Amino acid sequence: MIKIVDLHKSFGKQKVLDGVNLEIEEGKTTVIIGRSGGGKSVLLKHIIRLLKPDSGHVLVDGTDITKLNDKDLNEIRKKFGVLFQGAALFDSMTVGENVAFPLKEQTKMKDSEIRKIVADRLRAVGLTGIEEKMPSELSGGMRKRVGLARAIAMHPEIVLFDEPTTGLDPIMTEAIDNLIIDTQKNFNLTSIVISHDVESIFKVGHKIAMLHEGKIVEYGTPEEIRESRNPVLVQFLSGSTEGPIKII
Amino acid sequence: MNRASTAIDNLGRSVLRNVEEMGRILLLFISVLSWMIRPPLKLRLIFKQMEFVGVKSIFVVVLTGIFTGMVMALQGYHGFRMFSAESLVGSTVALGMTRELGPVLTSLMVTARAGSAMAAELGTMRVTEQIDALSVMAANPVKHLIVPRVIAGVLMVPVLTIVADFVGILGGYFVGVPVLGINSGIFVKNITRYVDLDDIYNGLIKAAIFGLILSLIGCYKGFNTSGGAEGVGKATTEAVVLASISILISDYFLTAIMF
Amino acid sequence: MFSISSEAKVGLFVLVGLIILGYMSFRVGEYGFGLKKGYLVSAVFDNVAGLEKDASVQIAGVEVGRVEDIRLEDGKALVTMRIIPDVKLARDVTALIKTHGILGEKYVEIVPGSEWETYLEEGERITSVERQADIDRLLAQIGAIADDVKVVTTSLSNVLGGEEGEESLKSIVRNMRDMAESMNRIVEQNDEKFSTMLTSLRNASVQMEKTFSSLNEITAGINKGEGTIGRLVKDESTIDKLNKTLASLQQITDKINEGRGTFGKLIHDEETADNLNETLSGINRYVTKAEQFRTFLSYRGEYLFDTSDAKSYLELKIQPKEDKFYILGIVADPRGRRTVKDTTTGGVTTRTEEWERDKVLFNVEIAKRWKDVVLRGGLLESTGGVGIDYFAFNDRLQFTFEAFDFDTDRDPHLKAYAEYRLFKHLYLSAGWDDFLSDEGNESPFVGISVRFEDEDLKYLLTSAPIPRD
Repeated sequence: MIKIVDLHKSFGKQKVLDGVNLEIEEGKTTVIIGRSGGGKSVLLKHIIRLLKPDSGHVLVDGTDITKLNDKDLNEIRKKFGVLFQGAALFDSMTVGENVAFPLKEQTKMKDSEIRKIVADRLRAVGLTGIEEKMPSELSGGMRKRVGLARAIAMHPEIVLFDEPTTGLDPIMTEAIDNLIIDTQKNFNLTSIVISHDVESIFKVGHKIAMLHEGKIVEYGTPEEIRESRNPVLVQFLSGSTEGPIKII
Repeated sequence: MNRASTAIDNLGRSVLRNVEEMGRILLLFISVLSWMIRPPLKLRLIFKQMEFVGVKSIFVVVLTGIFTGMVMALQGYHGFRMFSAESLVGSTVALGMTRELGPVLTSLMVTARAGSAMAAELGTMRVTEQIDALSVMAANPVKHLIVPRVIAGVLMVPVLTIVADFVGILGGYFVGVPVLGINSGIFVKNITRYVDLDDIYNGLIKAAIFGLILSLIGCYKGFNTSGGAEGVGKATTEAVVLASISILISDYFLTAIMF
Repeated sequence: MFSISSEAKVGLFVLVGLIILGYMSFRVGEYGFGLKKGYLVSAVFDNVAGLEKDASVQIAGVEVGRVEDIRLEDGKALVTMRIIPDVKLARDVTALIKTHGILGEKYVEIVPGSEWETYLEEGERITSVERQADIDRLLAQIGAIADDVKVVTTSLSNVLGGEEGEESLKSIVRNMRDMAESMNRIVEQNDEKFSTMLTSLRNASVQMEKTFSSLNEITAGINKGEGTIGRLVKDESTIDKLNKTLASLQQITDKINEGRGTFGKLIHDEETADNLNETLSGINRYVTKAEQFRTFLSYRGEYLFDTSDAKSYLELKIQPKEDKFYILGIVADPRGRRTVKDTTTGGVTTRTEEWERDKVLFNVEIAKRWKDVVLRGGLLESTGGVGIDYFAFNDRLQFTFEAFDFDTDRDPHLKAYAEYRLFKHLYLSAGWDDFLSDEGNESPFVGISVRFEDEDLKYLLTSAPIPRD
């Protein structure tokens, strides 16, 4: 489905990605874990080419998206839905307009059809009848859910979740995790979740990859990860300050 | 020796940085142009920006215009009285407003009001990943965000300028005729005699160019914001400073070419 | 709440702006509309100091036009004015430069003439020009007057100033008083004598009156033809003779006027006048031609970054008129020129491409200049092409775009560059050569050129006969 080959990226003198190799399996949820600021979001942005790599390739269904022109890139992007860290709802639009946005931009559907889909997607995330609210009137958890509704509005094949549970209370975290699992099943999605929330990782992930110092240091099922002897993973999962991960 | 070479090094770096920034702004301009001619234009977004840049700036521009005209009349009167040439106050105000102060002050006010808002708005959208979200949904951010703002700037600043010209002359008239006692007929006659159509039109061309500058720089700074809320603040300040300086510098060259 | 859409607000605002613009344009352009269509007349003044372009042209204080252009012609100022079409100027109007008030701006006043049969046409010249007592001359005159007054007062103060003067003044006053006193005394003492004097004076005047009246009688007699003088004046034949003399004089002048007689012919022969005119204009043309004729020699070297080679140009610019010139030049291009050769051997056509590196290329161009724009065309680097130059900052800066070597199987050779005059004869340039090239020939370049006017060449060329145009 998605294949990342030897991806390198540095900002100035700082190497963020230093040869990432990863294969994302179709119809599964892959969780990428790692420290905050460790390059997880950067990796995610490469997958939809919001960033261009210094070297390496990202193959989506066999197409190398690092070399595409704008037009072909837009075609590829239609397969994706993205839930950004802060939901990234457009402040100037209502909830309804936000969810309808990709439909209006990319399809020629009638307004009535669009309204129907918007209502359906909002129901799917458990928020019915809030189309006329502005994003600023919503709580953090609600915004995330509207963001998810927007991400799945076009019925994408792949959904990327950028730290979906950061900054939420435990109950809301639980709810969002369940939502990720449900939508993955209902829409038969290939999901990529970026997280450092240890509990969520094991709950939602079919496969887990650990990103450390610009490389994938461990990849496997939750069971394999839990039993891994890799000191980086051991330290990360136990939350210890002692170990190969340096605290700066 | 060492210190000198460091200084030269720094100077060189800052020149390079500025040249690079100018180049980026130019590239952004070219991409704005190329998106501008690709239909469909987002008319609703353009009108929304035109309302924001134009209609909502009327108050501040009228206020600036009136007081500038009044001050010019007052100052000009004291100067011209020494030569018994008070009748020239009207034409001085009118020429000053149409050629220079109208376009420059209007665009500076719009920079402060709308240019900064553009930078702040786009900056916020950048740091909250709304711009990324646009790209991901196959909606080009330049087309959606920058083109309407630039069009609004180019079209609205001249309209605001003509209003500023007019109320400025009006302000000059109210100070000159009732307060300072200049003959109203001579005041108006001297305006029509010394001010040419070209003065007004060249002033408006200037205003359009300033509108382009302020909206382009506001958008550029906002679009390239990084570093959270602090970054947005920085982008806003930089946008206002850079746009104001660019307007004043380009004003010199435009004046040299036009008049 | 009732709300207006942004479209409506923007529309309303733009409408208001357009109305204001229209109003202002209308007020400011009251003359503007008529003036654009107006006709041009010119006048030559000795001195137009303070007169600006766009200054007002007035008749009796009413604006009828604007000054379009001020230029120097033979050490005098040639002022071109645009007059609104519905104002006609008689052929004998007088133009003069006046000032509004003491510090006001200068304007051209036209004093209407008396000849109302023909009017000045587009491009004609006002011949009668007057020097006005402008403020400078007025001040100079006032200064001279003040000097005179000063001389007078100085001598006065010399006479009256000082103790001596005061003393003499006092004695004068004293003497006057004494004189008045003695006069008084005389009058009192001779009261009677005075009254007899007055009586005899009165008698004398009566006598005078009588004398005048008899004189009157004599002239009346002459009028009636009495006495010798009277007869002479009144004789009809005398008057006849006088009349005849005058008549023959009249005939002579008439003949001259009609062109009869030798003298008359000379004056009246149109051919003579034409010959004279032609001679004069011929001389004029030749002189101006020689004056306008200019030749420039220039060398330009361009360093091409991509090939690290230099391209050289040697050019001769011949400029017979201010707005027209020819360029002859040779170009040495290190990249050479590509030539394509089709050779057919045994039914098989093979195309060979060759780069000739040592070939010298030629520029032969004809160019015409309009204001700041020069269009030229002809041979550019030995191929057909055109070029356009734009001049800015008093010709210091030149932008050039050239297109040549139009060929069907490759892109044309395009070249764009800017040239800046650093010193009098030294120019720096930078640009991009052949930027459309599909043969990898495109290259940015910087160049330096030396250009100077060659006076000797000019006279060499103008001494050769010039065909009349």
